[in-house]
Amino acid sequence: MEPELAIGLPAAGSVCAAVLRTRPRAALLAAAVLGFLGLAAVALASPGRTSDQLGIGLSLSPESRALLLAAGAALALTVLLAPLAVERTILLTWGLAGLAGMAAIAAARSLELLILVVLVLSVLQAAAAGGRSFAIRLRGPVLAVVLLSLAAVCARAEGPEFLSRFAAVGLVAGLCAAVGTLPYMHEFDPNERTATSPIPWIAFIGPVLALAVLARARELIPSEGGALGAMMIGLGLLNVVWGSLASWRTENGAAAWHYSFIADWGLVLCGLGLAIADGQRAAILLLYGILLSRLPLYLWSRQSLREKRPNDRPINLLAAAMLAGSAPFAGFAARVLLLRGATQLYWPLALAIGLGLLLWLPPSLRLGRSLGLLRGRQAWGVGIALAINVVIGLYPQPFLALAGL
Amino acid sequence: MSAAAAFAAWLGAALIVLSEGRRGLALGLALVTLGFAGLALAGGEVEAAVALVAGGGIAAVQRLRTGRDEWGLMPPGSTARLVLAAAVGLLALWISTSLMSGPGAPLRFAALSVLGLMAARVLTPSKPPPVLTALVALALSVAAAAGVADTSPGPALYVLAAIVAAGISMIRVGEVDGA
Repeated sequence: MEPELAIGLPAAGSVCAAVLRTRPRAALLAAAVLGFLGLAAVALASPGRTSDQLGIGLSLSPESRALLLAAGAALALTVLLAPLAVERTILLTWGLAGLAGMAAIAAARSLELLILVVLVLSVLQAAAAGGRSFAIRLRGPVLAVVLLSLAAVCARAEGPEFLSRFAAVGLVAGLCAAVGTLPYMHEFDPNERTATSPIPWIAFIGPVLALAVLARARELIPSEGGALGAMMIGLGLLNVVWGSLASWRTENGAAAWHYSFIADWGLVLCGLGLAIADGQRAAILLLYGILLSRLPLYLWSRQSLREKRPNDRPINLLAAAMLAGSAPFAGFAARVLLLRGATQLYWPLALAIGLGLLLWLPPSLRLGRSLGLLRGRQAWGVGIALAINVVIGLYPQPFLALAGL
Repeated sequence: MSAAAAFAAWLGAALIVLSEGRRGLALGLALVTLGFAGLALAGGEVEAAVALVAGGGIAAVQRLRTGRDEWGLMPPGSTARLVLAAAVGLLALWISTSLMSGPGAPLRFAALSVLGLMAARVLTPSKPPPVLTALVALALSVAAAAGVADTSPGPALYVLAAIVAAGISMIRVGEVDGA
């Protein structure tokens, strides 16, 4: 019953928060309690055990469970320490809706169920008032829905061998379109609110979605693991170079953060594409970093970005070091694992990834400065995010064990 | 019956691509719904067919109640869309019958053509009513496409797709506030 509760309780929390919006304290309390209970259901779920209470088989994998818990922690951190200008009820409403969707994506045992959940999430997000038009906000996720569906048809139909190769292309392309990495970057409006922007796809829903799609891909086309991995590594390298260079050179600060997520995803794709233990471990550590550090820092940088007040205090430099993946932060451990995995597989690949890693420093310094002068809740928040990242960097094993690695 | 149902699904999808008014969109959605329901019936999945008719029917009625009260079929500048509808149909027919083999060609044709045409409708600049209609058809086609597998996905997936389809048809764009 745990997967059903993990989906239902955050969804109920989101609905409660939306209904009680005129009474913010009651809304916050109800949503927080239901969200916490939902996370408890995720924590108590037995990984791999299938529940069929609703006529649909649902089960959480260890990796998905670990990332769901990380996403819940990130949501709690950002809601508790939200800047004063941000309405916490709205943040919690959308965050819990996303969490419920992520739990459904993680628990779905069929690709079609996963696709339907992505469709629902994309429509809900696009229907909200935002800077971009309804149709434009739908483009990326709907393209993902179509590509994943076509891939499923190709994988299941009888026919020549290259149909399963097409399916592999569709699955990787669909994943990139859903997350919003190259070659299907979502259109980004720097002035748009975070909840209705492409950021939730790349920084919140994306990590769980990527693991779920790849798990289903391994079942659908077990013979195409090599092709799947090769495409992911190729696209990963492309995203590393493009994302880090664009994050460094673009004029707009918010766009620089968006590109930095793309660069991080490049490394994640490389790690997942390696298909060996070190690569998987590196990818999981990077995904923890995206959820627990880069996303909260982005949210706390928004006000400073609007006011154009960069700052060079020590905490800004520490944040830059964390974003660059330097020791002792989690990014460093992930990069070491990634390079070791790449060396085991094919050493020139490690050389290419290593050269790509050098591109991280200039944009990270810029992003760290963009956090501005940190005070009050934001200072606490950045401090906690840095501390969490250091703990994951110094003691990665418990976090990897939680993900079953 | 399967071939007729598959043709109805493609025709409905083509109508959604070619229409701007609520009557044309609702008729297109109804045809897609009946097409997929017919294919499910032909496969012996009665519960799935009922679910698809319920979800698609609610969505079609909803579409008929809102939007511009006209057919809006093939407004000026629709030549490219007409060519697209025919080309996607032919491509889907070739893939489902020549490239792919085994039984279930009508279902493969219907799924591929509706997926392709609805993707084109959503990805080209459009107003919310046609986009929402295309999304409903997309939800139905995702569930129908699962039937391509050797083993049936079971009625639960179709029921879920029907709920999603009905839910999407009730969404009012721009009324919800963002964070």
